[in-house]
Amino acid sequence: MAITEDRPVEPLALPSGETDADYKPAGVFTRPKASKGWRSWVTTVDHKKIGIMYGATALFFFIVGGVEALLLRAQLWAPRGTLLSADLYNQLYTMHGTTMIFLVVMPIGAAFANYLMPLQIGARDVAFPRINAFSYWTYLSAGLFLNSSWFLGGGADGGWFNYAPNNGVLFSPSHGIDYWNLGLLIAGVASLTGAVNLIVTVLNMRAPGMSLMRMPVFTWMTLVTQFLLLFAIPVLTAAQVLLMMDRLFDANFFNVSKGASPLLWQHLFWIFGHPEVYLMILPAFGLVSDILPTFSRKPIFGYPFIVFSGVAIGFMGWGVWAHHMFVSGIGPISVTAFALTTMFIAVPTGVKILNWTATMWGGKLQFTAPMLFAIGLVLMFTIGGLSGVTSAVAPGDTQQTDTYYIVAHFHYVLFGGAFFGFMAGFYYYWSKVFGYMLNETLGKANFWLMLLAFNLTFAPMHILGLQGMSRRIYTYDSGYGFELWNRVATIGAFILASSIALFIFNIFYSKAKAKKLPPVSPDPWDARTIEWMTPSPVPEYNFDPVPTISRVDDFWYRKYGETKDGALVRIAETDDVVQKRSDGKHIHLPSPSYWPVVVAVGLPIVAYGLLYTLWLSLIGGIIVVGGIFGWALEPPDDPEAGHDDDDHAPDDHSASGDEAVAVGASAEVADDESAAEKVGEPVG
Amino acid sequence: MPRRSVALRVLAVVTVAVVTLLFVVLILDAFRNDGKPLTTLRPEGPSSQSIQNLMAPVFFVALLVGIGVFGVVFYAAWKFRQRGTDDPEQFPDQVHGRTGLEIGWTILPALILAGVAVATVMTIIDLEKRAPDAIRVEVYGQQWWWGYKYDLNNDGVFDIETATEMVIPVGREVDLKVTSNDVIHSFWIPGLNGKKDAVPGQRNDLKVEADIEGVFLGQCTEFCGLSHANMRMLVRSVSADTFDQWAANQQTKAVEPTGAQAKEGLTLFKAQCAQCHIINGIDDGPDRPPVPLVSGIAPNLTHFMTRGTFAGSIFNLYSPQGDPILGNPELTANPGDPGATLVGGPVDTTKVNRAVLEAWLRNSPAMKPAYAQGGRGMPNLGLSEAQIDQLVAYLETLY
Amino acid sequence: MSHPTVTEADAHATGAHIEHDTNTGISNTKLAMWLFLASECLLFGGLITTYLLYKTPLEGPSGKDLYDIPFTSASSFVLLMSSLTMVLAVSAIERGDHHRMRVWLGATGLLGATFIAGQIYEFTAFYREGLGFTTSRFSSAFYTLTGFHGVHVTVGIIMLVSLVFLSVRGKLPEHRSETVEVVGLYWHFVDVVWILIFGIVYLIP
Repeated sequence: MAITEDRPVEPLALPSGETDADYKPAGVFTRPKASKGWRSWVTTVDHKKIGIMYGATALFFFIVGGVEALLLRAQLWAPRGTLLSADLYNQLYTMHGTTMIFLVVMPIGAAFANYLMPLQIGARDVAFPRINAFSYWTYLSAGLFLNSSWFLGGGADGGWFNYAPNNGVLFSPSHGIDYWNLGLLIAGVASLTGAVNLIVTVLNMRAPGMSLMRMPVFTWMTLVTQFLLLFAIPVLTAAQVLLMMDRLFDANFFNVSKGASPLLWQHLFWIFGHPEVYLMILPAFGLVSDILPTFSRKPIFGYPFIVFSGVAIGFMGWGVWAHHMFVSGIGPISVTAFALTTMFIAVPTGVKILNWTATMWGGKLQFTAPMLFAIGLVLMFTIGGLSGVTSAVAPGDTQQTDTYYIVAHFHYVLFGGAFFGFMAGFYYYWSKVFGYMLNETLGKANFWLMLLAFNLTFAPMHILGLQGMSRRIYTYDSGYGFELWNRVATIGAFILASSIALFIFNIFYSKAKAKKLPPVSPDPWDARTIEWMTPSPVPEYNFDPVPTISRVDDFWYRKYGETKDGALVRIAETDDVVQKRSDGKHIHLPSPSYWPVVVAVGLPIVAYGLLYTLWLSLIGGIIVVGGIFGWALEPPDDPEAGHDDDDHAPDDHSASGDEAVAVGASAEVADDESAAEKVGEPVG
Repeated sequence: MPRRSVALRVLAVVTVAVVTLLFVVLILDAFRNDGKPLTTLRPEGPSSQSIQNLMAPVFFVALLVGIGVFGVVFYAAWKFRQRGTDDPEQFPDQVHGRTGLEIGWTILPALILAGVAVATVMTIIDLEKRAPDAIRVEVYGQQWWWGYKYDLNNDGVFDIETATEMVIPVGREVDLKVTSNDVIHSFWIPGLNGKKDAVPGQRNDLKVEADIEGVFLGQCTEFCGLSHANMRMLVRSVSADTFDQWAANQQTKAVEPTGAQAKEGLTLFKAQCAQCHIINGIDDGPDRPPVPLVSGIAPNLTHFMTRGTFAGSIFNLYSPQGDPILGNPELTANPGDPGATLVGGPVDTTKVNRAVLEAWLRNSPAMKPAYAQGGRGMPNLGLSEAQIDQLVAYLETLY
Repeated sequence: MSHPTVTEADAHATGAHIEHDTNTGISNTKLAMWLFLASECLLFGGLITTYLLYKTPLEGPSGKDLYDIPFTSASSFVLLMSSLTMVLAVSAIERGDHHRMRVWLGATGLLGATFIAGQIYEFTAFYREGLGFTTSRFSSAFYTLTGFHGVHVTVGIIMLVSLVFLSVRGKLPEHRSETVEVVGLYWHFVDVVWILIFGIVYLIP
């Protein structure tokens, strides 16, 4: 960077877009201006709208994956089930896993990260708003592309892990695995761009005074999650490129007859796959770490330990992948090494659980719906964590792996952990996002029903697995003792579906009821972190003015002060601390754009072309490249959109520097202390 | 805060009660392993026993830790709940953390895990030990059945080639090399040892040994395509004498049948079946044309009738032991018993499960999903009923 | 009761002067490029590992039979030199010398194109000697790894050419010189990766 040190600062004051005032949008699109209606959603670059779209799309795919799960459970209701053929069952369980992981849990994490993280650090938007839109649309096209396989010859049938060589054309001649492979490659693009974007946002765009160790835990966990994605996705991409070469161009990466090693796929897949597990659970950990203190009426216990245990999980997550391969024949020394690393990753996880418990300890617990779900996460994840430790014991795992014991284990982690955390987040943040509260009574009923159904569905699978039921079998015989618990699990699965239905009902019911209620308070829960300072629903500009942060839980300590003897007293009324809705006209925000959608639409067209006719790939390629050029030439801000001020929101143009205003930091904030802190701060 | 609704309270109580009861029943069920032939919780061999010895305390400690965490959380939830009479502005002590506690609960689980780790390493070492007198068997998986090659005298030459069922002498270690001819499978006899993947191009080590005579079942546990669910294993543990007789008989070649119908069957076999199936002494010559299967050869049928099950052990070839009438032939949890035929005795045709065998020959893809057209699995041969009778008559001479 | 003192320190947007600092002091774009390149390391890491695993073929020609070390050394040198011209281009725009910047960017692109031409020639020669993409595990790994790198160089060339065009149309003023620098980062990364690939694929026996 020595080269740029003497870069003149002055020209940066150029109003954005000035040099591009003669921008011609290639005669294709005029600059979108709509701020309402469907067009505003298609072209939006607002992190909040994108977050909502992530969430809504993920819930749609959740229903798709859920229906797949119900079909699987219905098939296993009794021995020799005849509802599904073997082929269809294999496709359904493959797509169930793929959908739930890549199209549901990861995107819900992205939804919360998109919506909340900029609010929690006091930013106007993410670092690259158009790339953010691109990430979302790419995720959507990947999901639709993946699921279009159902109508074009059937879904992938090799499991979400798609082990070689069963994933080769010889053993899976339909296009299903190609859809899986190319679809996840596209989804990988979405995840990677999203990761870069969100990391830059956290590192660069925090409000004045918001040092790393003052960030809310959810923001911390988002940072760790996105770093995991940044490094995990390319490994999967490498594996998938090899598979694509094999399947489409007859390469020999997994061709055993030419000396290929099937374990190469497993290593690459799980080097991605295990960090993947942690990046699915950490956002939920972050959410409950913000929710538990609010309803315990006391701060999170051991904030630095909660943060560093999350970071430790992120690091250690890279050294445990081969515990998925204890029986693959990797040799006793590797098995021993990975068994030990896997056991010890339980330590930081245990630290989190104990800190959450200590947060509740001595508090004044308010059992609201979000609190119930958060406690549900602590308990259900404990079960999943403990069954994980029993699987880390490698000799035991040789009995457990690929049985229903493992199915039980990771559903306790991903449903009982991640999804309960997301439900807590939905109930907690609903009013902030949509401006009305979800009905609490229905919410609590939702919790109890889901807890009941979840345990009915997945707890019996522990015993089914230990008593010998293999995973991924479309049928089982009577006489093995599997009947009873399969029935219980199937009944549980249908109750679980009804609890999801209750949640969806609550959304519409509460919305209808809200019309008769007074507008919701910005801070209905007496919460702690600064996103609650904004009006509900959050205005497009987020904060006006941007708050200056002086400690963890800054918002809380604007309301309450601690006396010398540690007691808490109110120092300000909430109404005086929260921000009023302003017209926001003086705040310049990034302009909407069509180009992210264009590029995102081009990607699946390229993929279809690879499967059917290369001409289509060419057309898709032209759309993608044209879209990128249109994007690059489009100024991040619309020169014609009137703005007579100089408070700029961040931009995502490669030129940067000129328009990239970090956090609306103001000269008025001549707070030397916070400025000094900002400079001397560690980066990541 | 809305008033507490009675229905909600009932739902909460019911949930807690049902879930608690469920967990208690599940834990008790772990001790009820009768009628569960694939259970991992009742070891019948030294390897599975050593896994059990390791895991039982691990499960117990995990259970204790789980009960501890649940107990603390429930106690905290009850003790520190906000009561209706409380002043919402009356705050609890604002504890931000306590470093001593943090260090304590970092070290404590680490110590527990260190103990588990030591036991784990010892068990791994134990499972890697091999007895000098072990019998060497190469196991190969193929879509969707298992084949076994025995090297009885440890000279590097396979003496026996069989399929579907593995026969081992009781109380003697059997040293397995597990491999695959196509995709990855996993060889797993829960009663005898943990599983090991059958990876093409790789020979993975596993040992099995049974403490008692009897039949041990298994199930392929690595997803291997369409009929993964229909790929089972069966191990017969027999006395040393019986094993020697069995081994001697297995090394004999098939002889030309004498009956007229069986002779017709042999002709038919050579025309229709010999492309894929080998019968030693009949069609194992050096001039065999290449097999049209993706994976390699189909099961060796030289001593077909010495096996109690067929087609990846998903159908019974004989009625199960102690079952005078042919019960449900699909109840392979109670596998067919070849009786004296196991060691080469004549076939008791009254015990043969003709109905299922004929159905298999009539249309095997309908019996077990396969991609027969793609060279994976047995196709529908379009045989007439008379031809099926001839083939069955011939097959019944293979013992 | 109101405590305005609490909020007074907050950054009022109105009339606020733009401050171009980011928390880290590194611009968003440059930080993003660094992150992206960090991610690319793992992508190439995966492909290089695959190559190392498969470098000895079971059939067909091996690398030992095919590699023309002097030729590839020369084309590697060409690519290395392009890093130098890239540095010169960045320093030209820092000085506000648009003409020189275009010249050096053009030179960088040209050197990159020479490297790609060399790679195409090499692939053709190998193919003639019997090393098809599907010949062996080695051939698949070799072509995928080096081809993947070639695609990266090509994307770099497209970016360089785009920069030259932007500059000619006057859309690359000094204050946007960082764009050139960021493209330069990418270009240097692609170079460094090639040094690694050259060492691992061609030089290590």
